[in-house]
Amino acid sequence: MAPIRKNTIDRLDRPSSYATSKVTYTAPSAMKLPGNQRRDDELRREPTPEPEDKLKDATTLYVGNLSFYTTEEQIHELFSKCGEIKRLVMGLDRFQKTPCGFCFVEYYSHQDALDCMKYIGGTKLDERVIRTDLDEGFAEGRQYGRGKSGGQVRDEYRNEFDPGRGGFGRAYADEYDD
Amino acid sequence: MADLGFSGKTEDREEKRGRHGRDNRGGNKRRRDDEDDDQYNNRREERGPQRRRRNDGRREDNTPRRRYEEPAFAKARRQILNIASSTKLPQDEAIEIAEFLRDNYDDEQIQAQFFDVFVQLIVDQPFKIPFIAAVAFYGNQIKPEFTVQAIKLVGDRLQEALTAGQWRDFKLLLRFLACLTPIFEEDSIFALLGQLFDTVVDLQSANENDVVGIELVKIILLTIPYAVVSGGSRFHEKAQELLGSTGIVAGNLLPVESLIHPYDAESEDKVMDYNSVISLLQQQLTKEADSGWKVACIPKFHADALKRKNPEDDTLPAVSPMHTFPTLTIPSPVNPGPKPLFPEAYFSLFASQEILTVPTIDNIAASLIRDAIVDTIDQLDFNRDVVAKFLVDLDCYWSLDTFAKRGTALDKFREETEKTVYKPEDMVIDAIFSLLFKLPTPEHKLVYYHCLITQCCKVAPAAVAPSLGRGIRTIYKSLHAMDLELCHRFLDWFSHHLSNFEFRWRWTEWLEDLKLSNLEPKKAFIIAALDKEIRLSFAKRIRSTLPEDMHSLIPQRLDEDNSPDFKYDKPETPYASEGQMLLLQLRKKATHDEVQVTIDKIHTQAKEAGIEDILVPSTDAFVTAICRLGAKSLSHFLSCVERGRERLLNIAQESDTARRQIVASVVEYWKDQPGIAVRIIDLLLNYTILAPITVVQWVFGDYMGAGEALTESWVFEMVSNTVTKVSNRNRQIASARLQKGLPAEQLEMVEGTLIKDRDNARELFKYIEDAVGGVAQGSSDVLIEKETNGELSEEDGKLLRAWGKRWHAVFVRQSAVEESIVGESALEARIKFLAAQPDPEPEADAMKVDDETNGATEANGDTIME
Repeated sequence: MAPIRKNTIDRLDRPSSYATSKVTYTAPSAMKLPGNQRRDDELRREPTPEPEDKLKDATTLYVGNLSFYTTEEQIHELFSKCGEIKRLVMGLDRFQKTPCGFCFVEYYSHQDALDCMKYIGGTKLDERVIRTDLDEGFAEGRQYGRGKSGGQVRDEYRNEFDPGRGGFGRAYADEYDD
Repeated sequence: MADLGFSGKTEDREEKRGRHGRDNRGGNKRRRDDEDDDQYNNRREERGPQRRRRNDGRREDNTPRRRYEEPAFAKARRQILNIASSTKLPQDEAIEIAEFLRDNYDDEQIQAQFFDVFVQLIVDQPFKIPFIAAVAFYGNQIKPEFTVQAIKLVGDRLQEALTAGQWRDFKLLLRFLACLTPIFEEDSIFALLGQLFDTVVDLQSANENDVVGIELVKIILLTIPYAVVSGGSRFHEKAQELLGSTGIVAGNLLPVESLIHPYDAESEDKVMDYNSVISLLQQQLTKEADSGWKVACIPKFHADALKRKNPEDDTLPAVSPMHTFPTLTIPSPVNPGPKPLFPEAYFSLFASQEILTVPTIDNIAASLIRDAIVDTIDQLDFNRDVVAKFLVDLDCYWSLDTFAKRGTALDKFREETEKTVYKPEDMVIDAIFSLLFKLPTPEHKLVYYHCLITQCCKVAPAAVAPSLGRGIRTIYKSLHAMDLELCHRFLDWFSHHLSNFEFRWRWTEWLEDLKLSNLEPKKAFIIAALDKEIRLSFAKRIRSTLPEDMHSLIPQRLDEDNSPDFKYDKPETPYASEGQMLLLQLRKKATHDEVQVTIDKIHTQAKEAGIEDILVPSTDAFVTAICRLGAKSLSHFLSCVERGRERLLNIAQESDTARRQIVASVVEYWKDQPGIAVRIIDLLLNYTILAPITVVQWVFGDYMGAGEALTESWVFEMVSNTVTKVSNRNRQIASARLQKGLPAEQLEMVEGTLIKDRDNARELFKYIEDAVGGVAQGSSDVLIEKETNGELSEEDGKLLRAWGKRWHAVFVRQSAVEESIVGESALEARIKFLAAQPDPEPEADAMKVDDETNGATEANGDTIME
């Protein structure tokens, strides 16, 4: 094996610090906890000893900032440009079971997942710039939003109006209702 | 810029402009675009706004609050990495770095880490090679130890690349040494180049189809100009001599080259004639030699610049020390490298345009600048943001008068008379398209080039978009002459690109072509492009981006977000009630037996109606019901297929006609959204419910008609996907075979699979080639029939023949490529080479392939081929 050499330029196919420090997801029952607390907990936790190790063969990507209206077919159309897709899991609102703006894309090979980070992350799908991150692999339960009202946490407290993601943050929407 | 309708304010670049004032004081002479400077540390930052705002205090550069002494290594590293990217004269900059290294040479960190950066920079950032070589050159005069060490390490890495067949790295490292030609003794680099050429002779005489030799000749030819520029007249004769011997190889045409023409050689409308990269290089260099080796575009450095800068400095040696050129061992046999090699065609959209914006093809600048751009793009595929910046900064890396000012309008090139300068954006777009259109296979996944073009448009919209627009129009104009595979690459890129820019395109200029028959390549392209756009978006949205006249090209039905109609809902459809029943039963998850009752009813009626294969109507009803129930999304479809999987597999076993009916039913149900049909067929192949030959036989046996189907892009996509699946699988098996130390029983198994699968692939190719060849020659039965009974006009007949010919060319090539990789003789050669290798260290790559192959044989929905 040739020695591993550090490139003189940063790579776009590295997992985010969130993905590397994230503790392996275990209990779907934990979903019943107030969602936003969970995610914050994870962010504060110490990184596991060898953070990039568990992602070194990752074939799954977390895809974020999708519009609620983006369909599986659209995702397939774009993401299969990086290789054959083994599985696609749409992120759903925990209560309504409707798409809530994220998904998991699983490829057959690690290389395809890396290429996807490099070539598709940060480009547009359905006219939104999407985010990709390496993921340790889908587990049942993770397809659901962990926000208080069922969607993703980020959609709870958003100040800006985002028509593709249900308008204003839901927490505020509640306030307006009161 | 108006071409793609950019407003000039894409993303949020504007607010960042000027934040990094550092190196941006330059006037027009060397204008820089530093707007995206923070890409190095601000990647993938969706939560950007907050972060950026925090940084906006612009204290980093303008008003440092406290003195901070940058560690020597960090400073040296920063300087060398950013070389040639500032407004300083490159020569002064190189000297400055050399002096800094001299002053800090004993720094521990510099000793330990600087050389790694230095050598890696050569292979990472090809544009900068002449500049970092200049650092070593001046370093040689003031701190020879530095240069000695650099040469040694580059030499080691060069040997490593040669041994591994890493040809690009080899070429780039060699270029660095070529730029240091004057400081080597005797024949300097030319001794090695001569040695390499001897190897070429051996390779070529051993095998007339040899491609490694061609690659080596390319490397030799691309090294000569750099060596001559730095070495000066002392080496002119040497270069001339070498050029004399490479001529035969460079002028030779390999049989396989006839398959990689981007344009139909017989067409008069082609954008350019076929030229191999090496034949052009040979001509260009010969011309350069005749005119005294000016090689104007390569940046030049003065040997006595240090003396001139410090005329008083007595410590400067009168003669700089000379070194021995690193000794290299050329392995025998030569390692062809990890990737299959092919001859390369030189592709340029702009080289033969009326207004000249790029070097003509007889100019060495065409090859040198292209080569450096291509290497930059392909070496750095892991950071498109940085690549786009380098490309936009292209003019920084070549001698001063090579390029016109950035973003100069096309009109200005019409007037230009005194001296020729090039339009940097055109050269960049030309180069990216050459990669997108590289035959037989692109270096990286095509989507890399897509996103790179997108990125270039974001970094410098006003400069890049017009060039891109002209490129698109040039391609569109000659679509009918272009290789069909390339047309599809273009189509795929075009629709994907527009999806990143609000689907803005000036369709009005193509309105004239709407009148054309659907069999005309231009019209077929428009139809296909809209379909592809809709796939990435939705029909209503795409309709809103089109002029009124084009609305009829998108079926009205698609505007409503409904599932396609279920034909059994209409009572006049045969087996209507059974079809409805099947849908109901599938929905209610009825048992196998219950479903069978309904199926049997269809069979009984079919028998009475005298239908030959009663499985056909029942399969149609069953598959259509699955499609209807699964219409909501692909996941829904998949879970329906799971439910009917066993039955579908049985159908596949029992009757080939019924198996083809599966394809027919899917395509019919999704006729307005063929993209979904293509996707579903792909999934059914993975489930082995369909075999590759089923798909191909349905297309060419049942669906092709007189060849009308050949004009539909989704048909090409479906066939192409199927063939690729088979080819990939065979390549995997072949690489499993190439593992060293495979146990005997495994070896036998792998060989057995390979023989069988290779034959299947050959059968597949033959079927396609015969079918489309029949259309091409006008010997297809349906074509003859339709022409005789007047259903097809003579004009249409001609168009169909042309489509047949283009399909034929694609699949003849693909089949030849597969033979050259997994064919008996190709594999034999690899096995022989492997056996000759001394060290049987198991390679990580080979292991991985094995894993994948094993995975594929499990019944997990993976690619399983029969």
